[in-house]
Amino acid sequence: MRGHGFLLASYVPGNSLLHRTPLAVKFLLVFACGLASFVIVDWRVSLAVLGALCGLFLLTGAGIKRLWGAVRPLAAVLLVIGLFQWWQLGAPTAARIVLNILVCVVAASLLTATTPVQQLLDGVVKAATPFRKFGADPERFALTIGIMLRSIPYIAGTFADVRDSARARGLERNPRALVLPVFITSVAFARQTGEALAARGLGEAED
Amino acid sequence: MPAILFDQVSVAVPTDTSPEPKVLLDGVDLRLEEQRVGVIGANGSGKSTLLRLVNGLVQPTAGKVTVDGDDTASAVRKVRRNVGFVFTDPLSQLVMPTGREDVELSLRRSAKNGAERRRLAEAALDRLGLVHLADQSVYELSGGERQLMALAAVLAVDPAVLVLDEPSTLLDLRNRELLRRTLAGLDQQIIMSTHDLELALEMDRVLVVEKGRVMFDGAAAAAVAAYRTLCMAGLEEAQAPDLRGPGR
Repeated sequence: MRGHGFLLASYVPGNSLLHRTPLAVKFLLVFACGLASFVIVDWRVSLAVLGALCGLFLLTGAGIKRLWGAVRPLAAVLLVIGLFQWWQLGAPTAARIVLNILVCVVAASLLTATTPVQQLLDGVVKAATPFRKFGADPERFALTIGIMLRSIPYIAGTFADVRDSARARGLERNPRALVLPVFITSVAFARQTGEALAARGLGEAED
Repeated sequence: MPAILFDQVSVAVPTDTSPEPKVLLDGVDLRLEEQRVGVIGANGSGKSTLLRLVNGLVQPTAGKVTVDGDDTASAVRKVRRNVGFVFTDPLSQLVMPTGREDVELSLRRSAKNGAERRRLAEAALDRLGLVHLADQSVYELSGGERQLMALAAVLAVDPAVLVLDEPSTLLDLRNRELLRRTLAGLDQQIIMSTHDLELALEMDRVLVVEKGRVMFDGAAAAAVAAYRTLCMAGLEEAQAPDLRGPGR
């Protein structure tokens, strides 16, 4: 089983300014970038913001390889979106949309590359604590985020494995031979994960 | 050692193909008090069901299972705090991106303070010699390293009983040996199913499970011999399939 193609960069230990920046500030940066993607209308501004974020990413010491690793899985999708938008709305709009998506991915990668997952989960628990009075369990919020971070590469790896076995049987052009096994494997993975969590007593309501 | 009791335990599940439920375990009566208990048997014999009952992952349809007096049905949370479970495939068990994060996840309930959690996780990883692998993606680890990492995540909360469902099945010889040595050094009561008969021979007591029943229960060497006899008898009964093509 391969596990790759993760959309966001994984944590890299370090002592850069961003590593030391409080989680809330980093989260606000990601939130602001997401918001800006709706507001920015000039592709040159998007390019400048993307350049600044890439510069910040490299300053963390996470390296250009990890940055490319975070963006690469999106390349094909971005190409399709870019070409479609170019055809429909013209080059400047297409460039702006593609660049804004990249801004969001790089900003989120900055957060995940400079924050240990447990610190992220603690942040989620803290943020979700006010919902406790409505019956919500903040630990479950955190667990959900953690499992999501882990499941994306698993499913991407499953897709790669299934594609290889379809190729080996000469079925690479058959969408059913690709989609169905990935779907079944993903459901099985979800069941196994649930069982593993139950065995460890995780995700249950607090005593 | 905590006593694990099976009192006339049966497990049956509904099937699509028959109106009758499929019996996975049938009237199992056991008292397990030895430190190392092995469970051997063919695929589909009921080994995994038997192990899952100990942690409450499977509930009996008749009878009851207790661990140190706690019923796995009515006190399942307490039972799971005392019984750690290691699955065959560590990738389905390690739910965090890195080993360290997974070990810390195990400790989230018992250690609310982040610094304390990190200290305990470091100690758990150090105990199995895994600190140098702790920050690698679980996908970058070898099969043996992943299995040890899964074991570290379970041992971090210091369970009294450790249940392992065929932990060496996916491992090569070197990693199997590594796992064997690690298990030999543990203080916990171990209940382990395995197809590795060499590993089974190191147990204090071995159960041979066949068609949902415990067919043999005793010392390791006698149990392995009984299992071999059972397998050979099964082979003689079964007719080998004709794999030759038509016209040959």
